[in-house]
Amino acid sequence: MSTAAEPKRLSKREQRAEERRIRKAMHGTGPEYWRRLWADIKRDKWLFLLLLPGLIYFIVFKYLPMWGLVISFENYVPFSGVLGSEWVGLKWFQYFFRSPSWTRYLGNTLILSLMSIVFYFPAPIILALLLNEMQSLRYKKLLQTLLYVPHFISIVIVVSITFVIFGSSGIIYRLTEQLLGQPIKYLSDPNVFRWMIIGQTIWKETGWGTIIFLAALTNVDTQLYEAAMVDGAGRLRRLWHITLPAIRSTIVLMLILRMGSVLDTGYDHLILMANALNRNASQTLDVFVYEQGIKNGQYSYASAVGLMKSVISVILVVSSNKIAHALGEPGLY
Amino acid sequence: MKKLISLFLALVMVLSMASFAAAEEPFELTVLLPDFYSTEDFQTENNPVLDAIEAATGVRLKVTFAANSEYGNTINTTLADPSEKQPMVISLTDARGTSIINSARAGAFWDLTDFVKDAENYPYLAAGPEGVYNNVSVDGRIYGIYRSRAYPRAGIYYRSDIAKEAGIEKEPETIEELTALAEALAAYGKEHDAYALNMVSYTAGTISIITCAFGAPNTWGIDAEGNIYPAHEDPAYLEGLKWLRHLYEIGGINPDFVTIDSTNWDSIERTSKAYMRFDCLDNCYRQQEWFETNEGVTDQIFAMIPGLKKADGSITIWPQNPGFAGEVVVTKAVKEADLPKVVKFLDWCNGPEGQMLLNWGVQDVTYWLDEDGYRLAAPADGSDVTAQIHLIQHSLNQLGMNVPGDLCIPAKLTALRQEYNDFNSTYGQYAVTNPCYPFVSETYVAFGSMLDQIISDAAVQYISMQIDEDGLRAAWQQWSDEGGAMITEEYNAAYHASLGE
Repeated sequence: MSTAAEPKRLSKREQRAEERRIRKAMHGTGPEYWRRLWADIKRDKWLFLLLLPGLIYFIVFKYLPMWGLVISFENYVPFSGVLGSEWVGLKWFQYFFRSPSWTRYLGNTLILSLMSIVFYFPAPIILALLLNEMQSLRYKKLLQTLLYVPHFISIVIVVSITFVIFGSSGIIYRLTEQLLGQPIKYLSDPNVFRWMIIGQTIWKETGWGTIIFLAALTNVDTQLYEAAMVDGAGRLRRLWHITLPAIRSTIVLMLILRMGSVLDTGYDHLILMANALNRNASQTLDVFVYEQGIKNGQYSYASAVGLMKSVISVILVVSSNKIAHALGEPGLY
Repeated sequence: MKKLISLFLALVMVLSMASFAAAEEPFELTVLLPDFYSTEDFQTENNPVLDAIEAATGVRLKVTFAANSEYGNTINTTLADPSEKQPMVISLTDARGTSIINSARAGAFWDLTDFVKDAENYPYLAAGPEGVYNNVSVDGRIYGIYRSRAYPRAGIYYRSDIAKEAGIEKEPETIEELTALAEALAAYGKEHDAYALNMVSYTAGTISIITCAFGAPNTWGIDAEGNIYPAHEDPAYLEGLKWLRHLYEIGGINPDFVTIDSTNWDSIERTSKAYMRFDCLDNCYRQQEWFETNEGVTDQIFAMIPGLKKADGSITIWPQNPGFAGEVVVTKAVKEADLPKVVKFLDWCNGPEGQMLLNWGVQDVTYWLDEDGYRLAAPADGSDVTAQIHLIQHSLNQLGMNVPGDLCIPAKLTALRQEYNDFNSTYGQYAVTNPCYPFVSETYVAFGSMLDQIISDAAVQYISMQIDEDGLRAAWQQWSDEGGAMITEEYNAAYHASLGE
């Protein structure tokens, strides 16, 4: 009876005891743990085989390159190699925190991320809800396809289009000049810079971002809607009491994942939009890493700042996951 | 014994035969060069220029071109992978980058010090003055052959025909006259949808030319007490910025100039969207010749001003470069046994034959001669060969070092080319050099480019009226706090040490 495919039913007490036993085996390092692991592998060998490509991917492309982080504690010169370069300990970290500008880099990063979470993050959710309410299926499909298109346009093109319509001879520049009596310098005012970045991101990625929420919405039991309609619930009530709760865990999951990349602003989009006049707003940690590492050839300094960024990101993911658990959500893990 | 000797001789003969046979196989030399025609193709097979180089030297060039605008990035990523696959010879546009100096110190490049002093075997390389070699040296060793450039080269040029229409006949000789010209061009431009001064996102040259015209030093100066100080601390520097700010305020500069890529610099002038430019003066005769070829212009419509008189009658000009622009290095991808061969090739590149092939290519394919023996850039029948030249010649001139000076067949001197040549000899004495060029500041090597950006960004913000004088001074203070003060200190120490104090 007790085969792998069909585990026998256990009572609640037995189940808890089994869980305790597994946890003990999992967390110990005694022979019991290894024996059990081997038994698991033997039993589910085909499933483990399925896991193999993913495992190899992570080892080759994610774990092995981590050795490269060693260079953030060295004065790395490529010709001397990782082993031959001078060991300098925490010099680069100290240098970064001693330089008066690190607060500007961190501040710019956090402001841009916060703006992105507040203004960009809800955009795909709202759009997905709107799409979900559409009655005509053909129209909905057409609209979805059109909304995905901007995602496939290179950011270089997006920035070029922006330059054309927001530049001083562009239509929007001229229009605001007419309406307000004075122009808004979209491309050079550091106060407008972040809004431009957020605006471009919303334009480009909102449509694509709806995919995951639309997928979550398909799981909502249509009987619930029918029952609610019978009870006299309007559209807004159905949205509030059925749709939103159904995708809540997806939203929380996405938010936790987003927390892990709070310090990731990307650099390509920013350096394309940056110039001498708005540079103060565009200097984020990612831009710093790019400028030091690739433009300036300071490989060690750049990877030290990159490493620091990753450490903070891990802390943010773990703590937001904890908060999600505390609020009764399943969270990320 | 005799037997042994004859055996030895036989062996030597066989070996020399073998090496002779090997010499027939071309030596493949991989080269990395900056590319000024990155949107166009380069012909690698059956390229008459590469074939001619191979016939003359036995070296087959395998060239990798990388876009000039991103060349610094390419160099840094190339140096990050020191392997056999690295290019053997790299043309560097900046000899003082962090990764360049670090790589040189770590031994990524061959030490060429002994080669460039060997006048017997490498006559063209040894012809270069020691002073210039010192400027590209690292810790007293020479790792690269400098790429020689005319000196001083920079100045102001403008559309003289437009100036006449705007009511200015006389070529400006003082700053006041330049201001009058700029204001007249700005007023004229307002009616013709154009601007007086052609400015783009690359502003370093423009700012240096105007600040030096007011009397500021070139990047670093030496004050009355004999100490090194940064150019922006000189009152004349602010005067220069104020001049540009005034021109911006009256609408003489495109308000969007920071967003315009420097690749558009020429086309702005060619479409008459701006009338004046502060840049290398060789562009002046090039633009004139472009208008002659493409717009059928016959009159001289450009004029150049190499230097302006200050109130006290003195002239200072920014020299654009210290006599060279970057260097050519040999990486360790070249085996030690092949090194003399590679250096010999670089020496040949500096001779008349090499210079001609690299800069102008093959006669009747990429350049032509008129009946007097002058070089022509296009055949006499006037057919358009630009695409053909770009396909074959591309940016091969970037490998040219021209250490012993220009040994190419000269082009016929137009009035403007003549003026340019005269200017280089007449105004050379007024050029202000950067006194810190031979010194290495560790802080500058590490963080220089970011610090430079603080100064140049602040200048642009001031010109664009985004910040006032207080904002400018705050940026200078920031520069000082973030390492500028340390650089000044290090340069001073090196400077005083060089004086033997």
